[in-house]
Amino acid sequence: MATTADGFQAHTEDHAHDHADHKPGFFARWFMSTNHKDIGTLYLIFAIIAGIIGGAISGLMRWELAAPGLQVMGQVVSALGGDGTSFDQQGHMWNVLITAHGLIMVFFMVMPAMIGGFGNWFVPLMIGAPDMAFPRMNNVSFWLTVAGFFSLLFSLFVPGGVGNGAGIGWTAYAPLSTTASPGPAVDFAIFSLHLAGAGSILGATNFITTIFNMRAPGMTLHKMPLFVWSVLVTAFLLLLALPVLAAAITMLLTDRNFGTTFFTAAGGGDPVLYQHLFWFFGHPEVYIMILPGFGMVSQIVATFSRKPVFGYLGMAYAMVAIGVVGFIVWAHHMYTVGLSVNTKMYFTAATMVIAVPTGIKIFSWIATMWGGSIEFKSPMVWAMGFIFLFTVGGVTGVVLANGGIDDNLHDTYYVVAHFHYVLSMGAVFSIFAGFYYWFPKMSGRWHSEFLSHLHFWTFFVGVNVIFFPMHFLGLQGMARRYPDFTAAYSYWNEIASYGYLIMAGSMIIFFVNIGYALLAGRRAEDNYWGEGATTLEWSLSSPPPFHQFETLPVIEDHHSADDHISAKPATA
Amino acid sequence: MNLGDIARNKLQSLALLVAAVSLAILPQSSFAQEISEPATSVDEAVAEGQSVADGEVVTETDAPAFEHFGPDMILGQPTSFEDDAIASMTFQDQYTVNGDYALWMHDAILMPIITAISLFVLGLLMWVILRYRRAKNPNPSKTSHNTLIEVIWTVVPVIILVVIAVPSISLIAKQYQAPPEDAITIKANGYQWYWGYEYVDNGGFEVISNMLSVEEALTAGEPHQLAVDNRMVVPVGVPIRLQTFGADVIHSFGMPSLWFKLDAVPGRINEKVLTIEQEGIYYGQCMELCGARHGYMPITIEARSMEDFNAWVQSQPGGMTRAQLDAEAAAAAAPAPEADAEGEEADADAEADAADAETAAAAA
Amino acid sequence: MTTATLEDRNRRTMLFAFGAALAMLGLGYAAVPLYDLFCRVTGFGGTTQVASEAEADAAASRATGATYSIRFDANTARDMPWTFEPLQVTDTIAVGERDMAFYMARNDTNEPITGTATFNVEPKSAGRYFAKVQCFCFVEQTLQPGEEIRMPVLYYVDPAALDDPLMQDVEQITLSYTFHRGLAQDADEAAANNEELR
Repeated sequence: MATTADGFQAHTEDHAHDHADHKPGFFARWFMSTNHKDIGTLYLIFAIIAGIIGGAISGLMRWELAAPGLQVMGQVVSALGGDGTSFDQQGHMWNVLITAHGLIMVFFMVMPAMIGGFGNWFVPLMIGAPDMAFPRMNNVSFWLTVAGFFSLLFSLFVPGGVGNGAGIGWTAYAPLSTTASPGPAVDFAIFSLHLAGAGSILGATNFITTIFNMRAPGMTLHKMPLFVWSVLVTAFLLLLALPVLAAAITMLLTDRNFGTTFFTAAGGGDPVLYQHLFWFFGHPEVYIMILPGFGMVSQIVATFSRKPVFGYLGMAYAMVAIGVVGFIVWAHHMYTVGLSVNTKMYFTAATMVIAVPTGIKIFSWIATMWGGSIEFKSPMVWAMGFIFLFTVGGVTGVVLANGGIDDNLHDTYYVVAHFHYVLSMGAVFSIFAGFYYWFPKMSGRWHSEFLSHLHFWTFFVGVNVIFFPMHFLGLQGMARRYPDFTAAYSYWNEIASYGYLIMAGSMIIFFVNIGYALLAGRRAEDNYWGEGATTLEWSLSSPPPFHQFETLPVIEDHHSADDHISAKPATA
Repeated sequence: MNLGDIARNKLQSLALLVAAVSLAILPQSSFAQEISEPATSVDEAVAEGQSVADGEVVTETDAPAFEHFGPDMILGQPTSFEDDAIASMTFQDQYTVNGDYALWMHDAILMPIITAISLFVLGLLMWVILRYRRAKNPNPSKTSHNTLIEVIWTVVPVIILVVIAVPSISLIAKQYQAPPEDAITIKANGYQWYWGYEYVDNGGFEVISNMLSVEEALTAGEPHQLAVDNRMVVPVGVPIRLQTFGADVIHSFGMPSLWFKLDAVPGRINEKVLTIEQEGIYYGQCMELCGARHGYMPITIEARSMEDFNAWVQSQPGGMTRAQLDAEAAAAAAPAPEADAEGEEADADAEADAADAETAAAAA
Repeated sequence: MTTATLEDRNRRTMLFAFGAALAMLGLGYAAVPLYDLFCRVTGFGGTTQVASEAEADAAASRATGATYSIRFDANTARDMPWTFEPLQVTDTIAVGERDMAFYMARNDTNEPITGTATFNVEPKSAGRYFAKVQCFCFVEQTLQPGEEIRMPVLYYVDPAALDDPLMQDVEQITLSYTFHRGLAQDADEAAANNEELR
């Protein structure tokens, strides 16, 4: 336990002072980085920037939806340099914003933060590896993602049909994305997914190789921290799902530019096939965004309860089960497309199965806390917020899983509420939990626990005020992706828009907190969370040395396999 | 307020646009009707010197009067919070049998279950917060296993899911009930960005339906963004074979108060049966992103008695009731085979004529 | 420890992972023909079957005298300036018996236009029992300005439909066609097809 970790720490310090902290110059360090921690930092900074842009876009959306009528789309068109603000151009701009918001938040905020940021930082640390298996490929992954982001941003300023930008939705359904959207904007948006997707496939390969081959001696798969398990499962999902997206969107590109007719009915293609391919990727993608969050929450709950994770094996294999089942439920996103009766029944039943492993995880987290000695530090309150809000998002998922019920709720705000509860509150809460959990480890500086708690409570109130009324709007039949609505929907839309203001204010607290920590935060100890924090990163200094584990730690098998993982240095 | 003014200006330009679009579309639609039913347009038939079946001329003159429902007959529309806070937070009232069943399933099975689960989880969290906080419980237990409890929280959810799955599957089966042979067939064709309702069993005319501007809608006493110029008039109480087709991109025919949603996909049709229980006006919208004016192609269904429906059909250019069509078919079947059952002009192509005779023979 | 160095093992794992990714990429593309094949074999999505004369004869020998009502539906894509309609809205046929239906298409423009037809049936479960022996939709059609043609489809409903629980309550099957403007405007070839069809 802690004593072991401390002993180990004392040992590494010896090395740290002679060569482990030898860092390259600024340009080489940050632009040609091969160090997993530096790349993780880059990913986190990138995710924050993308999150600010994506969040600002959602601000424009909430402003537009604050009242019936078109409020701000005209100004947005002008501000982005569009030539003319006709009614159609405003409607198109709305579609561009929802598309950009979706793509940015999914591909350039959540995924880079969770997998690129925390994954890169802590997978090698947690398994006792000196770095990722392919450090240079890691760098390529990051810059591909950045290039993809610029390609997406660029698409906002080139023609995409009625106006500038790609107004096709993040799903890019054909034929709206092919014959009905001329202009290069859609090509750039699709290309941005290619770049980000390629980056993620390389990253996934890197994680799989690292986790399989570079675990410290004694760390069997069944002793890996759950966060590493979650990244492993996520990497497999990325590896198997993203190529299908790549194939589908490449066919979109050729349909658009080279006269093929994969999804064009005029040439014998089927637009519905695109949806099947997209959601064959898209559903695992949902789990790609949440599984690392599961992993982080598991670590955090165990740390602050001072207990080992309850039902470790069940937790690990529940994630594997979610990953596997995630591949065979995709058509529940297409219930109204005209499926046959038996297809719809199958996907209804299969989808509901996912609730079982998800329930196992929720209850195991609670069981981990049960009997624990819980300390409510900021990561823990974020994690507990995650557990509750993810449950709420999960049970509305069970409602939507019913194909017959979905006939009314499909493409309404109920769906928007559902996936924001699991993502904007599930994934994002776990990101913040992880951020506060590891920030002092990454930076060596303490954030303000007071501001972190304040951030939590304001954010918690804000997102609930935004998204809970959306359930009502959805039940009342309000369609998603609408810039305008009838007067009867005004009240709850206005409430939701006020919620955005609370949420935005909360984010200011977050940035103040980071600024405070970097400028004036007190120095963090090695294991600042105390005896509950038992994984290997706590055996290192805060921040860890530039190169760590040059001598591999050895994992001791204390009492039983499910006991805390602890490490002692290899014989010196 | 400044923003409000801007919005109003935008809405005026919207009204102009909608008007322009309707103008652009109207000639097209009359053209479409002309070519789909050549003999039904009296003017054209006279100009071409063709004889017109008696029944059709009668329809033009003797059609019973038809008047659309006013706003007092609106049934299916969203409720504002100000009118009824509770109603604004749940489903719209349902006016189909399947809708009632689905609503029951949601209200009586799903909502209690998901509320109970959420509260259960919340309660457990509250309990561990109160009972196992560090001040209360300084020494954590080391329990990390309990096979019994793990089995329970695997099996109990499975049982709950089975409880949900049984009515769920039966709901799907009900929704997929095939329409009877004599169901009135109506096609909803999605265009960028308006709907066309094609009455294939009533002479094949197509009603082009565009959204009313905010001012027009409010003047008519209807909800804006939902009201249209030409409603989809359907018979009440009888099954409708509703088929959807997308002419350009994918649209979706969504009716919240009828628990009905079906995508309109290019290159194929989708079909579902719809039986509306009550006379009235029902609003819906396009539910699949279809481009710039996706939010501006609402659906208004007006459900009328069969008698009113027939009167409305006859008020439409080329519209014929089923009885009229049957009578016409009987009249056409009696004379020699060269009188085409569909009232087609004689074709110059001799081979086609022979084929025609074969059709007539097959029909006889 | 294994004998292979870490670098070798890493390279092997990487190749394995890239192989899996490539396989999934290939599967993504293979989905196009596979989906097409799957639809044609199982009638998924209301895809109709293509039958030979021999198969049609075999089906006819199993006819029971039961009937289905068939509805004929015609659509044109928005950029397709043809008039296209069935010459009979509905027809009642004996299950297993071949029947011929006709559609009319007319080119309303001043230029020759080639069209291709896509098709499906509703209810979707009828797709695997609805067999076409001959159809205008099998080939492209070219119509000269103002030209009007009648196009036959020779089809039957497989008697096996009567044994399918999913077909129990089906009384009417809709056969739908949509004409699209042909992408490859190879007028000569299509005209030759037309001749062949007549």
